[in-house]
Amino acid sequence: MSGTAMTAGAWLCLLAPLAATVLIALVGTRIPRVAAGWLSTLSTFVAFGGAVWAFLGVHSQHRIAHGCLLSTTSCTDRGELTTAWTWLQAGSFHVGLQLLVDPLSSVMMLIVSGVSALIILYSIGYMDGDDEERRYFAYMSFFVFSMLLLVEGGNLLMLLIGWGLVGLSSYLLIGFWHERPSAVAAAKKAFVMNAFGDATMALAFFVLIAHTHSLAFATDFGVHLSPAAQNLVALGLLGGAVAKSAQIPLQTWLPDAMEGPTPVSALIHAATMVTAGVYLIARAHPLFEQARTVELVAAGTGALTLLVTGLIALVQTDIKRVIAYSTMSQIGYMFLGAGMGAYASGIFHLLTHAFFKALLFMAAGLAIHAVAAEQDIRKLRGVGRLMPYTKWCFLAGALALVGIPPFSGFFSKDSIIASAAALGTWYGWVLWVCGVTGAFLTGLYTFRLWFLVFPGEPSPFVREHFHRHHGREGALTMLVPVGVLAVLATGGGWLQWSAGWHPLTDWLEPAAQTLAVAAPTNTQEYFTSAATVLAGVAGIAVAWAVYAERRLPIPAAPAWRRLLEQKFYFDALYDRLFYAPAAALAASLRREFEEPVVLQTGTDIGDTTLETGGVVRRLQTGLLRTYVLLLAAGAAVVVLAFLIAR
Amino acid sequence: MLGPGVAWYVAVAACLFGVGALGVLVRRNPLIVLLSLELMLNGGNLALIALSRHWHNGAGQIFALAVMAVAASEVCVGLGLVVALNRRRLSLDVDTLSELRG
Amino acid sequence: MLAVSAGDALVWAVWVIAAFSCLGAGVAVVSFANPFYSALALIGNLASLAVMYLLLNAEFVAAAQVLVYAGAVVVMFLFVIAYVGPRREPPWSGGPSWQTVGAVGAAGALLVEIVVAVGLQATGSLAHDGRVGAAFGTPAWVGRVFLVDHLLAFEITSIVLLVAAVGGVILGSHTRRLDAAAAQPARREPQRGVEAVR
Repeated sequence: MSGTAMTAGAWLCLLAPLAATVLIALVGTRIPRVAAGWLSTLSTFVAFGGAVWAFLGVHSQHRIAHGCLLSTTSCTDRGELTTAWTWLQAGSFHVGLQLLVDPLSSVMMLIVSGVSALIILYSIGYMDGDDEERRYFAYMSFFVFSMLLLVEGGNLLMLLIGWGLVGLSSYLLIGFWHERPSAVAAAKKAFVMNAFGDATMALAFFVLIAHTHSLAFATDFGVHLSPAAQNLVALGLLGGAVAKSAQIPLQTWLPDAMEGPTPVSALIHAATMVTAGVYLIARAHPLFEQARTVELVAAGTGALTLLVTGLIALVQTDIKRVIAYSTMSQIGYMFLGAGMGAYASGIFHLLTHAFFKALLFMAAGLAIHAVAAEQDIRKLRGVGRLMPYTKWCFLAGALALVGIPPFSGFFSKDSIIASAAALGTWYGWVLWVCGVTGAFLTGLYTFRLWFLVFPGEPSPFVREHFHRHHGREGALTMLVPVGVLAVLATGGGWLQWSAGWHPLTDWLEPAAQTLAVAAPTNTQEYFTSAATVLAGVAGIAVAWAVYAERRLPIPAAPAWRRLLEQKFYFDALYDRLFYAPAAALAASLRREFEEPVVLQTGTDIGDTTLETGGVVRRLQTGLLRTYVLLLAAGAAVVVLAFLIAR
Repeated sequence: MLGPGVAWYVAVAACLFGVGALGVLVRRNPLIVLLSLELMLNGGNLALIALSRHWHNGAGQIFALAVMAVAASEVCVGLGLVVALNRRRLSLDVDTLSELRG
Repeated sequence: MLAVSAGDALVWAVWVIAAFSCLGAGVAVVSFANPFYSALALIGNLASLAVMYLLLNAEFVAAAQVLVYAGAVVVMFLFVIAYVGPRREPPWSGGPSWQTVGAVGAAGALLVEIVVAVGLQATGSLAHDGRVGAAFGTPAWVGRVFLVDHLLAFEITSIVLLVAAVGGVILGSHTRRLDAAAAQPARREPQRGVEAVR
């Protein structure tokens, strides 16, 4: 019974958004624009229903076999693998169109479909009036389908397909307003950098296939490779995760991706797609555990990213970019957790982050929408006075982000940092310090943003451009999801308090068991929580002092400021290292090869043909006698040839 | 066989063919061209008949009869062309009738 | 040569006369300026050919030759020549251009090649003396061979004749409108010529 529930729920969840995409694409302009939006929204809610169904199925099966810890049978294949048909077959290598419904994937399905449903509902109000609304909703549904395929994929190939398709959806949606060259450039940048990650993942898969002739989870995760091969595979997967989740060194695409509409930033570049890297590490954790060094490198990457991006966020003046850097920073936390082996903590932070980050983006979107699409925080000062609902929702999200109890971010972030303490080695303590410092930075940049934008007297710009939507701050379809997420961001953290009450860790245990070395003791938990909260409050206090009360001046330090404003010169470096040589090569190829050789050859062929034609045309005299003469002469020659041959 | 051997007949046929070919190539009046064409066909016929007699194979004579029928048809159509040309007051000179160019 | 019999000598004599008249008539066809004379020369050519066919035991073919060619084809020619009217075209008019030189060359080459080919085989496969039965070449024999062994050729020939007949009819008709259109400017020309004469 539970088996069919799981299977049916999974397929429903996956195919509902796809059906919406196909329907919108086929019906096209025959339906009104807002109908496409409602269609997309409803399909995503149906997907959420399917996810709940599948979840209940896993739950009942989980309860039946809960006692497996005491038995000798393995718990790791707790899940239903449903195959549609065998898709690829090459000798002993089979790949089927498979979906896996297990604790990890059901949690991800719920997060993805739930948050997507809310954001797509919000989009109906946000994108109202846009000429190409239908295309937008088709793309959004397609994205939801791709992301669900990624998390539900039953073997590595299905995961890779979902991986690639979310990259495509991201490209399509970032460049949605394709008349803007900046948007198109940002879309290309995102796609190319993700392609790098895709390539490393593919290489990792090749190594796996070479050794196991299979891409099934069970086979590949149970295999024992040589250390070199193991490291290669783990590095390849890590490369893909780093690219998709915008961690250093492949983080430069995410801030530019803010060119897309705000709901896109909320969905793809905050709540779901960028968290795919964390999901990958959790799913493929057996492979990472065998290459423990690489896994710890992942944790280090996360720590480095959370510091660097937190610093850069301090000088950003675009409201969306601050939140984007914040996203990268928080995903750094998730990588930190997953890299150490605390998979449940990483996934928990993924869950709470989805809530409050989407909330932040959507609240910011409300403000942007109300003030004539202005995103510069220097101009948006005081908008909170005119938009109290938005102000309080944003505050809830900000507090959750910083990790102040009882908001959700507190519960999830602390368990990650505590795992670093549990690691024990010098590396663990370094990571711990990074985590706590990150908490301080988070408080600082988040409340810099809040104090600059929301409280205080409205600026002249705001007064001039602010407009209400039918007497409200925004359309109802925008206000409701923001409210729902505010509630979730506030109360969602009570799902797990690692010290005593941890249903999520238990739930995920069959799929992604937390490593013992990364499980913190209660003492470490309390100590870390205290430290983190103190750091966060300190950050808020500094922000208050500098930006709200103006008691402390912003430090001058022009060199440091320039470093941060230039985003640690990553963009300049990549430009010099990759783009400039490639552009020079392309230009020189065009100059030296394409124009003189290829184009000229084409022209030459044409000219030669014309010339030959001109010459041959002279044979066509139209004179009968000439033709007959040629016939006779030809006949004479042929007969002569025969005679000679004889 | 009494009289000259078959080689002599074939030689005469060859000469007849050559004369006809010369006529087709040199003359400009389409009627005379057609007449020369008849000469060539007759030359071929003679060769066929001669060799049919030599090898005691009836197919040669049958072929010659078929050639005769075809020659008659071709003359019929060709003369029809000449008549049509004449009706439209076009000059009967193969050198000037060169409109049907490639 | 001395041991030839009287019959043989007779056949030789007939052959020589027929051959020479055939070739002479052929040259005449090609050489006359007046197409009417060329057509008449063709009759002579056809007659000598018929004689040679008789020498080769092909009686039916000889008769068909006279009936079809001389009786029908040449008559058609004469009708059309009469309809078209007098046109004199000297054979070598236009001077020895490359066209005529080439023509002589090609025709001569063909002729020489065929003669050489024949000559090479004269002592070989063309040497043995074939004896034929009495029925060879008779109409009954030709009929049986035509309709039994080569029925397909017979049918195809009949189709070709049908097509030619249809083609001839079509080519000869449908031009009344054009005739009328063409006749109008032509009518003015003789008047001009008459005026010029005056």
